[in-house]
Amino acid sequence: MREFKSLKFIALFKGLFRRFGVDYEVMMLILRIKLTMDERRVPTVFNEMGKKKEGNQFLKSLWIYGIYSLLLLPFLFIGENYIFQMSIMFGMILFILMTSMIADFTSVLLDVRDKNVLQTKPVDKKTITVAKTIHIMIYMSFVTGAFVALPLFVGLYRHGPLFSLVFLVEIILAMLLVVVLTSLLYLFVLRYFDGERLKDIINYVQILLSVGLVVGYQVLIRAFEFSDLNINYSFSWWHFLIPPIWYGAPFEMVLNGNTAWHMIAFTVLAVLVPIVAIFVYSRLMPSFERNLEKMLSDTKSRRPGPHLLDGFWAKLLCRSKEEQVFFRFSALMMKKEREFKLKTFPNLAMSLIFPFLFIFNELRIRSLADISEGNMFLFIYFCNIMIPGTIFMLKFSGSYKGGWIFRAAPIERESAAFSAAIKAFLTKLYFPIFLVVGIAYIFIFSARILPDLGVVLLSAILHSLITYRIMKDEDFPYTRSFEFAQDPGSARMILLTFILGAFLGVHFIARAIDYGIYVYLVLLIVAVFVGWRKTFPEDRKVDDVKGTSKAEVEM
Amino acid sequence: MSYGGKQVLNGINLEVQKGQIIGYIGPNGAGKSTTVKIMLGLIEDYKGKVVIFGQDISTGDPSYKRRIGYVPENAEAYDNLTAMEYLVFIGELYGLDQAFAQGKAESLLQQFDLIDVRHARLSSFSKGMKQKVLIISSLLHNPDLLFWDEPLSGLDANSMMVIQEILSQLAKEGKTIFYSSHIMDLVEKISNRIVLLVNGKVVADGSFEELQEQSEEGSLSGIFNQLTGFTEHREKAAHFVSVVRGDHDDAGV
Repeated sequence: MREFKSLKFIALFKGLFRRFGVDYEVMMLILRIKLTMDERRVPTVFNEMGKKKEGNQFLKSLWIYGIYSLLLLPFLFIGENYIFQMSIMFGMILFILMTSMIADFTSVLLDVRDKNVLQTKPVDKKTITVAKTIHIMIYMSFVTGAFVALPLFVGLYRHGPLFSLVFLVEIILAMLLVVVLTSLLYLFVLRYFDGERLKDIINYVQILLSVGLVVGYQVLIRAFEFSDLNINYSFSWWHFLIPPIWYGAPFEMVLNGNTAWHMIAFTVLAVLVPIVAIFVYSRLMPSFERNLEKMLSDTKSRRPGPHLLDGFWAKLLCRSKEEQVFFRFSALMMKKEREFKLKTFPNLAMSLIFPFLFIFNELRIRSLADISEGNMFLFIYFCNIMIPGTIFMLKFSGSYKGGWIFRAAPIERESAAFSAAIKAFLTKLYFPIFLVVGIAYIFIFSARILPDLGVVLLSAILHSLITYRIMKDEDFPYTRSFEFAQDPGSARMILLTFILGAFLGVHFIARAIDYGIYVYLVLLIVAVFVGWRKTFPEDRKVDDVKGTSKAEVEM
Repeated sequence: MSYGGKQVLNGINLEVQKGQIIGYIGPNGAGKSTTVKIMLGLIEDYKGKVVIFGQDISTGDPSYKRRIGYVPENAEAYDNLTAMEYLVFIGELYGLDQAFAQGKAESLLQQFDLIDVRHARLSSFSKGMKQKVLIISSLLHNPDLLFWDEPLSGLDANSMMVIQEILSQLAKEGKTIFYSSHIMDLVEKISNRIVLLVNGKVVADGSFEELQEQSEEGSLSGIFNQLTGFTEHREKAAHFVSVVRGDHDDAGV
């Protein structure tokens, strides 16, 4: 175990901790252990694979925030209308911090091992709580630091030292607000719901936030075009409900000398709310720890819903009984597996949103009637963007250890597992989204696009097959740890997205030729049939004489 | 005692003397772990009074835990620490000096034949190895009172014998041991007091001999079956096997 620089910094506040009745030595001990463990988050398997990845992976990913922070810079240059510029900036800062807090530190906040390991020892509860909070704060300051360092320097250069000072103070306040607010949110949820429900809620919040990040960015770019104009700020009472505006106000007040009563009120809120929140938090923390027990003891059985639809699809799409079993299993996993949802649902949501976003974009330039004449419906190919990522994820599961069953069970045709998983993906995840977008597009572009939609759907199937063939390995689906899934953005992934471009290109060419689209449609049908057969060969004999012969279907 | 709105324990009144080995037994869900958790301050909103070493634990002062050693039921630990790091950390939490904790942990690991893996992460340990580390972690600070929740789970027969012997020798030194287990033979052999808990109530409390007199059963498992009102194990098994065989109406195939 080594000494951590962050702890040396915290040591400066030794006296402060002591004054609040915290057992300083024990707190430092806990923090050192926690930081040591964080350095080891990366699974040992990586080392065996020859890829030596040591050290704190989180810290190494901080540069991403540095890149994100470039988005903030334009707002420093568009004048001195601080209430606008800084409110938007703080909106982004709060959003990034909140996302990072929920995505990366939920596990820290809700670590139940703390209870068994620490609370059974002669350690004061207050000390444990403070150690936990400081642990999160250390990382949050790294995130915040990486995200605002650049804007801070640019601000210093552009607006002077007073600006930077206000900025710095506010950043600290905003960070406190985010940490405490998230904790209070969990506290609230844990109080009224059980642990499983909380995990679901967190899961969906995470998904929502990552979608929000991308969509929000799109929207913000739009907003930016308007904010070029010099709008005068007019106060409305509901602005009190928007925290970013609180943080915009002090700049207006200090730098522009605007002392309207609402500016003062915003500033007071910006300072007071985090402080009050900390106070409330420290009061409620004991009950939070108590409710954490719920995370441990949750054996409430769920009402098993009827999966009639899954059964129907399984019978329709899978020939062998074995494949049907795998299909239903896959459908269940996609529905229940939180980590899978976390990794794939944001993509799905974007697949759903982007085809509309671009139409809306276009609407600002021309009318809907105008759009409906053209080729804009090809934006439906955005639905297919989710294919490579999701198929890649099919290999993984949070409970991958359960995968021994596939080796132990007398499975005749191993390829049935993946063919069923891909079928389940296409029917349960892809098709509903395609259907929604498709129907909406038919309304916009009329029924003339039906053959094109057919082409897109068939391309999706073919694309799935190609993806699978490129990523192929003999593993069963849901049998590997997500820890391996850490870098899906590899060269192969980019290549697979290029395939989407190829499909789009061929589609364009087919449209240019008379009846080309129908020829293409037929070609695709043939390709899908042949491709599927080749990828997932069926051994007839095995199907007929069940259980008597050993199937050796190697691909 | 009730907590969280659920009545889990009911009218448990136990007075425990120094040097006793108390086997705390009962069917799954009887409230054994809950009792231990309350005594360790993991569960707070209970009704009733818990006094340990003459101190009412509800005051929130954790200092009584200094004299307690605890082995949790599911071998929960910070898995990505090495055995050594974990033990030193726990020792320090109990207020031991770092070097002292290290030396002691090393000699204890030596005794359990774990010295060679002391710098390997706990996550790579088998269940039995991990259990041994947790047992060591509960003894580093030489506590007076031990709470061991299923201490033998995952251990092989030889290790079990060692632990068994350790328990009785510790008790001879005047330590109080409070442990729960499902292995009746063992509880029968090493406990000098057995407490049987059913549905949150104490249904038997005494030495093995006293329990024998009470129930006229020869073995502890017999007594256990009788007092938990479970007599139809043979029929249950027969029914189960018939379902496995598939010749039963409600087999559901």
